[in-house]
Amino acid sequence: MKISFLLHNAYGIGGTITTTFNLAQALADRHEVEIVSVLRHRELPNHTLDPRVALRPLVDLRQEKEHPLHLRPARVFPVAEYRYHQYSELTDQRIAEALATTDAEVVIGTRPGLNVHVARQAPAHVLRVGQEHLTLDNHPPRLRTTLRRAYRRLDVVTTVTEADAAAYRRKMRLPGVRVEALPNSVPDPVLPPADGTAKVIVAAGRLVPVKRYDLLIEAFAPVAAAHPDWQLRIYGKGEEHTRLRRLIERLGLHNNALLMGAAAPMEAEWVKGSIGATAANFEPFGMTIVEAMRCGLPVVSTDCPYGPAEIIEDGADGRLVPVGDRDALTAALLDLVGDDELRRRMGRTALSNARRFGPVPVVEQAERLIEAAATARRTGRPPAPPEPARLRRALAGHGFAARDAAYAAASAARRTIRGGQR
Amino acid sequence: MTTTTETALSTAPRASCTADADGRITFHLAPPDPAAFPSPRLLLRLRPKKGQPETTLRVLTLTTAGDGRLSAVLDPLPALPEGRWDLCLQTGPEGERVRLRPGLRDLRALVDGHVRDRPSPVAVRIPYVTKDGYLALRTWLRDAHVEVAGIDVTDRSTTVRARLHGASLDAGASVRLRLRGGKGVERTVAPRAGADGLDLAFTVDHADLLPGSGAGDRVWDVFVLAGSGAGTPLIRAGRLLDDVADRKEIFVHPAATAGEFTVRPYYTVDNDLAVEVVRRT
Repeated sequence: MKISFLLHNAYGIGGTITTTFNLAQALADRHEVEIVSVLRHRELPNHTLDPRVALRPLVDLRQEKEHPLHLRPARVFPVAEYRYHQYSELTDQRIAEALATTDAEVVIGTRPGLNVHVARQAPAHVLRVGQEHLTLDNHPPRLRTTLRRAYRRLDVVTTVTEADAAAYRRKMRLPGVRVEALPNSVPDPVLPPADGTAKVIVAAGRLVPVKRYDLLIEAFAPVAAAHPDWQLRIYGKGEEHTRLRRLIERLGLHNNALLMGAAAPMEAEWVKGSIGATAANFEPFGMTIVEAMRCGLPVVSTDCPYGPAEIIEDGADGRLVPVGDRDALTAALLDLVGDDELRRRMGRTALSNARRFGPVPVVEQAERLIEAAATARRTGRPPAPPEPARLRRALAGHGFAARDAAYAAASAARRTIRGGQR
Repeated sequence: MTTTTETALSTAPRASCTADADGRITFHLAPPDPAAFPSPRLLLRLRPKKGQPETTLRVLTLTTAGDGRLSAVLDPLPALPEGRWDLCLQTGPEGERVRLRPGLRDLRALVDGHVRDRPSPVAVRIPYVTKDGYLALRTWLRDAHVEVAGIDVTDRSTTVRARLHGASLDAGASVRLRLRGGKGVERTVAPRAGADGLDLAFTVDHADLLPGSGAGDRVWDVFVLAGSGAGTPLIRAGRLLDDVADRKEIFVHPAATAGEFTVRPYYTVDNDLAVEVVRRT
């Protein structure tokens, strides 16, 4: 089967790019796979792409940044999408062309705006898949309204968590569309796993407010006081760097809490630790949690929406603590720091439990999903089997749709009024 | 220009490496194209000072491992001179060299390196990635070494906790802070020695480090004199015994205010300990 991914920019850095590359690579064992990158701004991708996966850019910003059509706003790519300002009539045109002439049997969009393109413009014989790496509840109402209309024309919508899939089923009315969770996969580690002896807690991610590294550092203070030979290493860079540095100084943690800078790949850094940690307020999936577990680290995480609770089994392979609860975070870290045997046991469990996020099980699930949708298409049956709760859900879906539409209209009106006053 | 660099980087062979606690480093790489590399060798080249010719090379033999990859071992001895070493793959003896890109660097055995006491000379090696994206090796070689364990800064003074490696403290030992470019100007502080003659701590009053009237910013480099006899060597204080090759931006200590100045202990680009005194703006 030929499978084509439609990606925003394969040449950048980020979770969606990594996970798309991982899935494409795993699918390439049995299928012909290509990645169509709407934008390109450098010669080579930052992340390493399997040579069996073809990469095809549509708009090369190094030459076409000033293209007259690129200076005009997009009409197909939805205006409410986060990256709307990076799209244009030129991207509209090139994406439409690429979809119209595709020889793939399955086309997979990887963000809301591109899913809209796939839904509206992929030829009828092509199986249309839309992947959501963010979450429905965090989309602005106006975007939800757009997607509610467009996603009806998809065959499959995938989310990264069951919780988000449930939100789509409950709040969007998508008759005949198969909605399923397909977790991000993390490649099989190359290095031997951590053995639980290192006195290092490791965290990794962009240094942005939502990740709550401030809370993690505060929660670490009593740990460093009780166990001064332990370190907290935070990998990543971002806008919070200076503020976090000041916090470390104010708490007198400069000998124990370290801002390590960015590291890619993280694998060699995870294995230097024996506990992974995240204090985020919001985590659509939780890629770093899986990465740490796949390296044999138990992970202490906030139980934030949506990923952590679907990855960590509290008390078995890590700990889940309430969002924003510094004392609970401290207590969970202290439990693991203070008990070598518990830490090692949970690390071993993490290693085996996280195998379900390996490329093989995830790609098998993706293949099953695609096969089932393809079969449903061939036999002319609706892909999603009818369920008794259908009608009730449909009515509830109407309610959510009405609310989103009202919000969207109200905010449009506010924008018009403000615009008029300016 | 960017394109050329990126292409060169993407096609250069990659080597991963594993460091052992005793200093041994094992490199692994996929076999290169035999047409281009008929008898490949791993070459370590001590990076010469700007404008100077290259003087020091080490050649490592590559052998085929069970998994088909090539591997080379850099044994703990002989110790390497101090500096930064570029890693290259050479096509054969006297042949062309290609700088290696980094694969995974498994340095976990180095993380708690400070808990193992080192004999003299103290030799340290940390594989790292250069700013332009190549694999390199940072080495230190010192007769003795003072490893900083922790630094506490208060309003009036800075206290350093450390451990001596490759020497031990005698009666009359002292801590010397030398003014950089100061023609021998120094401050002397008495250390508090632990029972084993290896642990030590010392406190420096910030007021002693301030310049006289009119003088500008200054830097003090920190040494320990392990005894009081004539000819007792100065031992540099720093932090070398873990997996962090470039410490300056990672181990950042707070600054204290002293009159018109801020005083801040920091690590140099060579991971040595220094104290900077900067006029407040």
